[in-house]
Amino acid sequence: MRYLDALGTTGPYRARKRTTVPDVTGEELAELSLVPPVFVQHTLATMRAAQPHPPEERITALRRAAELFATSELDGRPLRDHEETVSRAGGIPVSVVRAASTALATRLSEVHHSVRNALPRGAVDDWLDPRTRRGSGVWARRGEVFTVHSAGNHPGTHSIWPEALALGYRVAVRPSRREPFTAHRLVTALRAAGFAEDQVTLLPTPQEQSEALVRGSDLSLVYGGDEVVRGYGNEPHVRTQGPGRSKILITAEQDWREHLDMIVDSVSGHGGTGCVNTTSIFVEGDPTGLASALAERLAAFPSLPPTDEKAVLPVQPLARARAIETHLTRTAEGAGSWLGGTGVAEDLGDGSAVLRPAVHQLDEPKDSRAGVELPFPCAWILPWDRDAGTTPLRDSLVLAAITTDERLVSRLLAEPSIGNVYVGGGHPTCLKEQGLPHDGYLAEFLMRSKSVIRH
Amino acid sequence: MITQTDPARVLEPPDGGQPDPDEFVRAAMRWHFSPETGSPYWLERARTLDFDPLTDIRTHADLVHFPNVAAELRDVRVEDLIPRGYGAHPDVVGVFESGGTTGAPKRVVLLRDWMERMLTTSNANLDAHGFPRGANWLGVVPTGPHIVGEFFRRSAATHGTHGFSVDLDPRWVKKLLTRAETNNAGAYAEHVLDQVEFVLRSQDVGVLNITPSLMERAVQREPLVGLINEKVRAIRWGGTELDPDSRHLYRTEIFPDTVMCGNYGSTMILGMAGERPGLPEDSPCVFDPPSPHVTFSVVDPTDLRPVPRGERGQVLVHHVSKSFLLPNNLERDSALRIEPPEGGVGDSVADIRPLETFENETVVEGVY
Repeated sequence: MRYLDALGTTGPYRARKRTTVPDVTGEELAELSLVPPVFVQHTLATMRAAQPHPPEERITALRRAAELFATSELDGRPLRDHEETVSRAGGIPVSVVRAASTALATRLSEVHHSVRNALPRGAVDDWLDPRTRRGSGVWARRGEVFTVHSAGNHPGTHSIWPEALALGYRVAVRPSRREPFTAHRLVTALRAAGFAEDQVTLLPTPQEQSEALVRGSDLSLVYGGDEVVRGYGNEPHVRTQGPGRSKILITAEQDWREHLDMIVDSVSGHGGTGCVNTTSIFVEGDPTGLASALAERLAAFPSLPPTDEKAVLPVQPLARARAIETHLTRTAEGAGSWLGGTGVAEDLGDGSAVLRPAVHQLDEPKDSRAGVELPFPCAWILPWDRDAGTTPLRDSLVLAAITTDERLVSRLLAEPSIGNVYVGGGHPTCLKEQGLPHDGYLAEFLMRSKSVIRH
Repeated sequence: MITQTDPARVLEPPDGGQPDPDEFVRAAMRWHFSPETGSPYWLERARTLDFDPLTDIRTHADLVHFPNVAAELRDVRVEDLIPRGYGAHPDVVGVFESGGTTGAPKRVVLLRDWMERMLTTSNANLDAHGFPRGANWLGVVPTGPHIVGEFFRRSAATHGTHGFSVDLDPRWVKKLLTRAETNNAGAYAEHVLDQVEFVLRSQDVGVLNITPSLMERAVQREPLVGLINEKVRAIRWGGTELDPDSRHLYRTEIFPDTVMCGNYGSTMILGMAGERPGLPEDSPCVFDPPSPHVTFSVVDPTDLRPVPRGERGQVLVHHVSKSFLLPNNLERDSALRIEPPEGGVGDSVADIRPLETFENETVVEGVY
């Protein structure tokens, strides 16, 4: 049996309370230690009392951690074993997991550069910088201890929080109970690379006790659904990562056929489990042709277990897959179905089921079902016109605007609830470029500028 | 074979005495269902029972034939709950109410003789855990209508010397949590801890009586942890469960020089079950009821039959004393069923949790 211990300030801790981490077929992969709130508070208090490592040491350690993550045996596991475990636990196609590990390592090694993209032009990051003699903004942390309720949908979500370590925060991560392996490996790598045990910790908790991490820290990053976002939405010290509801807009002068590859990729890339995967596609004019073509392309995807080299679709435990299927069927009632109308869960016969793609067409641009985001390639196709305007395009983590209308792009960019705008159709919504903001730069939340004048 | 010993004598065994549990139950039936000694409530209620407690309840196991009348205690006049056998001037300590989690509160009457009996048992349990005698106590417990506050004061005065207390209003906290106002609940907890700090700074306090959730919040206050370590020698906790991992951390790192002892009680039990002394490090906390007056069984709620030993079930409580009768009361807690100590009746309980409501697989939209 593999034990995934909590990683506290006095080393690994094997709790008496543990939970089984199964793979999608129900087979046990590991026992994850769950620590109680007082363990969380005691750990966070110890981390708060610790000094951060000097900046150069942090950079060196992050680079070294990237290398260890990608090449070394950690917790007795080579990378390939780890990737297979992540694939089996999360039901994520193994090729997607591998690409994610490579991307994670790359981002980790460059984190000190990318974090500086958020540095305001009027600020320096060290008060001893000569510019403060005449007066300058200095970038300073908003707190000391940062906690993360991480997500298990895709390993790539772990490429964001290490920025806080680069900035000198002490960071505690609560792993997802579904896929705790990536967080465990990453924290193990960071420690092996030189971050002391009071600098970065792994604190798995039961769901109902997860609030202790938020309570005991200065700032928190929390992944979750609408309910989580509502619950923490008004708290200035919590940044929430809710549903992405990413979208594509295609205006009338564009031929969607030229962009079909990009659209397929946006919906289904990386297994279609990300917040950056496209949930709805708005077409100026008749969307029928696009809906039909997209359905045809997605229908060809094979149903395979996640560890199969050729797998491209996500897999979930059968009961969970059926629940998602039922939810979709109910939601889609009355909609035009191009794919998945008779069900999306394909039983693999081993206790798990592939979530096959779904394509539904809705008649009105304002149909709220366009915001129903599910953890597999599931797209809603809607007509759009100038009268509908930006309203149906709101609440998007990524909006790909396939258009030449610059005024429209400006309006989309001005819309506060749209996170990122990709113009022209050259990039799928699920593309993540190093150094670009994901949902704003995390550092905008972690740092503030203070005036410093010497003499 | 009805023995004609004085029922009051059987119901009040000398300290440490363990009467035969079945004989004890028969004596209780004679006391509570004889017109001269029973309470108006039970004498009236007996008329609508489909059995005769005097002849049909022969053994401890027969107690399950009683209906669960706990809900009726929301409306009964408290005068009608006092057994007539106490005479015209019963020594009433007070009237107390349940927490009110499920609607209007239920009421019980605490009589002096029962309270003294509870205190003797509970103080002996504290001695077994190494609580120092004669210390000043600080209680962070619900007072007012809640019986735990009264037990706190009397414990402090009998086992210790002076009792300081900080009030808790569990009904308000529950209301806040039901409305998902966690911030306000948190602010209330901090308000309570502010008061704890005032007492600890100025007074000699050797015993702290507190809930696990407030103790956990206290850990976030370094000065408070320092004060507790400096002054407090023993902590009694109760109200919710303290898991073995938390206990281990408190004992080894946070309060290493302090002994700890838990208790599980409720208003409807009219008392509490103390933590079994000398449990191994990894064991969940086991609570032994003061049997035969208070007995537990851990049952499957669908048929009220005991679950196998070591398994989880719902806690069923019988309170059978001279002062009060409440058999077959299903508490809103689940627990592991544990072998009672030698001579004990019924079950002991461990790893107590609020009842979980069963939920179907639900889908939260989004990808996380």
